Amino acid sequence: MSRPDTDQPAVVFDAVGVRFLLDPGPAVSLRRDGLRAVAALCRRRRKEEFWALRDVNLEIRPGEIFGVVGGNGTGKTTLLKIMAGIYPATVGSVRVAGTLAPLIELGAAFNPEMTGEENIFLSGSIHRIPRREIRRRFDEIVDFSGMRDFLHVPVKNYSSGMLIRLAFSIIIFFRPDVVLIDEVFSVGDETFQQKSFEKILSFREHGATIVLVSHDLNLIARIAGRAAVLSRGRLAFVGPAAEAVIHYRNLLLRGEGLEPVWDGREAFAPQPGDFRRWGDRRVEITSVVFTDADGQPQTSFRTGGYFEARLSYVSRLEPGAGRPVFGVALSTAYRMLLYGPNTRDSESGLGDGGEPFPRQGIVRFIVPSLPFFAGDYLFSASVYDPTLSIAHDHHDQMYGFRVEDAGPREFGCVRIECRWEVEQA
Amino acid sequence: MRRAWERIRELVSYRDLLLNLTAAELKIRYRGSALGFLWTVLNPLFFLLVLAVVFSMIIRFQVENYTIFLFSGLVSWFMIQQTVIIATASVVNSQHLIRKVYIPKLIFPISSVLARYADHAVLLAVLLFFMLLYRAPFTWSLVLVPYILILHFAFSLGLSLLFAVAYIRVRDVQQIAAVFFQALFYATPILYPIEVLPERYRALFLWNPAYYFVESLRWPVLRGAPPPADILLTASGLAAATLVLGFFLFTRKERLFVFYLS
Repeated sequence: MSRPDTDQPAVVFDAVGVRFLLDPGPAVSLRRDGLRAVAALCRRRRKEEFWALRDVNLEIRPGEIFGVVGGNGTGKTTLLKIMAGIYPATVGSVRVAGTLAPLIELGAAFNPEMTGEENIFLSGSIHRIPRREIRRRFDEIVDFSGMRDFLHVPVKNYSSGMLIRLAFSIIIFFRPDVVLIDEVFSVGDETFQQKSFEKILSFREHGATIVLVSHDLNLIARIAGRAAVLSRGRLAFVGPAAEAVIHYRNLLLRGEGLEPVWDGREAFAPQPGDFRRWGDRRVEITSVVFTDADGQPQTSFRTGGYFEARLSYVSRLEPGAGRPVFGVALSTAYRMLLYGPNTRDSESGLGDGGEPFPRQGIVRFIVPSLPFFAGDYLFSASVYDPTLSIAHDHHDQMYGFRVEDAGPREFGCVRIECRWEVEQA
Repeated sequence: MRRAWERIRELVSYRDLLLNLTAAELKIRYRGSALGFLWTVLNPLFFLLVLAVVFSMIIRFQVENYTIFLFSGLVSWFMIQQTVIIATASVVNSQHLIRKVYIPKLIFPISSVLARYADHAVLLAVLLFFMLLYRAPFTWSLVLVPYILILHFAFSLGLSLLFAVAYIRVRDVQQIAAVFFQALFYATPILYPIEVLPERYRALFLWNPAYYFVESLRWPVLRGAPPPADILLTASGLAAATLVLGFFLFTRKERLFVFYLS
């Protein structure tokens, strides 16, 4: 097998578009439709169409680790499947130089009735690996997968983890020129993930090209050289992986993919009917504004700097009702909750003082020293009854702010108070 | 033409897969059944037995060596009908593969047809046994049999390709094909000799493609003579035309198959 010329790109997309017909009409049935079925088949159907990819021009160089990021339904998997030849390009052309190992939907090629051993040969032949080559490396494959004891069991009795391990082991033992990976590492146990990951990276030493689709932005930023950002089937960005990740985060905050809302600099008045907002509105949060120490509205903050969120409210509670509880929640752009404090257990003057609750006012949430590292964060604000069982007004992850990089970086997204000590044993 | 050549070269590069899928189809069908592969023989054998009893004891045709007459016709018929009916669904039955890896789609009907011909080989062995048992004439004309089998293969593969393309769009095709073949079975001189019909109707058989295949196998096996040139040539022409037509239609449409499978 000759390696492709290193000057030649490993993968070329030339003005590629992929169109799906939303209802291509396979379900024509004579029994149901009678002769109309015949007419329906003869008619040129103009169905609703959907372009999964559009105007994609891309060159991936040999030996490159190329990342692809994008929200759900932006065409990431279609991009891989078109490289793998599963879908044809409706317009344009795709060329892949050399042999290809698609790690997409691993184990799909297995025949469930056949044993592990039979399936090794079957999958091998699907990827055009010569039979004697499979026989030569058979033991390596089996040992790497750890499936020796199950070789003579039909794979329908395998667990999904076992299937993936076997499928993965078969493909990677044949030194492909181009490897396509679609979130493979989300399955299988930790040790195997690590083992397979090292194996894949070792391909690069043989000059293999790796195309990696993942939601794990840290992974992309860490191992990919360049990356593409897909947005609604188009390439929104192609360039260095670190920049691509930033670009993608911006897209996320502008409401693409995971669909949080970024309200920009203005105080944000929530729209009625927004599914991220609920509650009986007996106390209503009318606006949320982030400010710096001088009370100036800000959307961007620094690690270790001052952060304040001002929640304006209007109350329609009758006098004598218990004091409502305000709460906020800080999450990463991927909706992982980092911290969610409320006013019930804190000394806020909102506790359960005897004086009546003001009919309107501002609740200030103050962080003197913001412990977050650079990145985009989502912010929720809410007000509940004193028992925390009735929502008056809950704004779930409707706001966002950004933390800019400040000084030397540690890893992670939150700084925790800590210190190091070294002792002589 | 260039596309056809590319397709064929690609098929050759996937030959291991072709054989593996064929073997898998044979292996899995009989896994877990006590008589296993024997059913391939037993099934048509029982059918033959029933027909032989009915038509040699109850309804009698004036045919010399009726068992061989009947069985040679049946083998030819099975090679076409059984193959096409099963191979029609081959692409749809492999949709789990088509949607997840790239495989040249031609692999599926071809491996399905190959698996059927492995079954048919057993039938041919039984036919040979009957020929010995009933002292059929063994003459040089039997050297034509391999060529005649290739014609059967090409014709049934061609039909399978055409039917498979249609089946992807309209799933009723398999049922329609079954009914169509059932009618054709009685319209073909398999159970009865062509002579039972009055002379002026016999020309109707000439419109039945199966007639040419049944007759071309029957001549050397039953009568120890090569089939008449017009029958053999027509069978050859039909086989070639069907295969070429099926191949081109299939390869033209195969790009879009993935969109119609769900």
